[in-house]
Amino acid sequence: MDEFAPLDCLLPSAKIRACADGGANHLYRLTEGRRESFLPDYINGDFDSILPEVKAFYTQKNCKLMETPDQDLTDFTKCLAIMVEEIKTQKLQIDTIVTLGGLGGRFDQIMATLETLFHAQKMTDLPVVVIQDRSFAVLLQEGRQHHLNVNTGLEGKWCSLVPVGSPCLTTTSGLKWNLDNQVLAFGQLVSTSNTYEDNDPKGGRKPVTVTTDKPLLWSMGIKPL
Amino acid sequence: MDQYRICMVILNQPIDEQYFHVLWSKAKIRACADGGANHLYRLTEGRRESFLPDYINGDFDSILPEIKAFYTEKNCKIMETPDQDLTDFTKCLAIMVEEIKAQKLQIDTIVTLGGLGGRFDQIMATVETLFHAQKMTDLPVVVIQDRSLAVLLQEGRQHHLNVNTGLEGKWCSLVPVGSPCLTTTSGLKCNLDNQVLAFGQLVSTSNTYEDHDPKGGRKPVRVTTDKPLLWSMGIKPQ
Repeated sequence: MDEFAPLDCLLPSAKIRACADGGANHLYRLTEGRRESFLPDYINGDFDSILPEVKAFYTQKNCKLMETPDQDLTDFTKCLAIMVEEIKTQKLQIDTIVTLGGLGGRFDQIMATLETLFHAQKMTDLPVVVIQDRSFAVLLQEGRQHHLNVNTGLEGKWCSLVPVGSPCLTTTSGLKWNLDNQVLAFGQLVSTSNTYEDNDPKGGRKPVTVTTDKPLLWSMGIKPL
Repeated sequence: MDQYRICMVILNQPIDEQYFHVLWSKAKIRACADGGANHLYRLTEGRRESFLPDYINGDFDSILPEIKAFYTEKNCKIMETPDQDLTDFTKCLAIMVEEIKAQKLQIDTIVTLGGLGGRFDQIMATVETLFHAQKMTDLPVVVIQDRSLAVLLQEGRQHHLNVNTGLEGKWCSLVPVGSPCLTTTSGLKCNLDNQVLAFGQLVSTSNTYEDHDPKGGRKPVRVTTDKPLLWSMGIKPQ
């Protein structure tokens, strides 16, 4: 059974790095003084957010600038589509696609992030995780038992299972409040402020297991480092 | 609009000062859910006696002891609501609905500051509370944080949203949280005509209002849905 450690992605290095539109503005600001060491492989988008000087800088440094004007899909969705292609083209072995941002700011954009996670399931089998502030989110597919390794030491206190798009018949183990073939649904039961079951400090936490019949949104806190 | 009567809930998120004063001055009842009191306390430093909430509820795992002591000493009602199955926000609304009844108030809307940012599961919990609110009251419960506003539109009626106040930002959105929604709209740039909104299929984000004659003003946005549908919109920076 393949195990998935949600917070493993905070440890290793990225094989491909991309910015979706205005993400380039944030990268540019953060890396002031050493920008050449932090060049993305590509920047995509309809370019309504990236600042002209930032776009010019990365163009001049030979980053791939890929205008993706499709108005029906978000910059994030299009960025993932390119990422999946690149992974195939370069024949890379990848475990996870990690996204910084997407869980804060304009409220409809938070919702759009979730919608992208649904689309991602049709684009790739790779988990697509989203991290912002001290929150982490990933959409768990229906039809398989997920094993989440939550024993990396990076886990914060809270975790959550949210049936974003439709009711989910759910069974879990390893949580303080487990579900036993119960329906999670807005207006009925949504699991927030959950946490991990007590464990023998020497033994370490057992994986959280989750099965669901519809895509189910797992989120968790990340310990401040 | 001077006759617009509201009650106000403050949640455990930084308070947007630009909205705080206009809401506070209009509100007939003002409440903090647990850690919301921390934010109120900090924001009103120097003039705290002028901004005392009518009550503070919660399991009190967020409110700081000195802040709880302060508001207790000022005779704000401190209502411990330890039920672990419901959030502080849900319990705050339950008390608010009771108070509105008990005081026989005519209220148009319950306005909430906070709830759309911070810890991600808490954002989801806010949306869940909006579902519960529909069973607790017919009053709209709106949530505002930063420059976003959200409200859950009930199924089974045609909603008329007046978006001509001049305070509207550029974007708006309809999101079928919880289940697919058969939706019809007018007044939007991208309208829906008896279409299903559903995650993984079609979700309306980065929408906007239809072009209109600048002299005429915007027509109301109309929405009908067969399941609760989350409307959100941008607020113009003041």
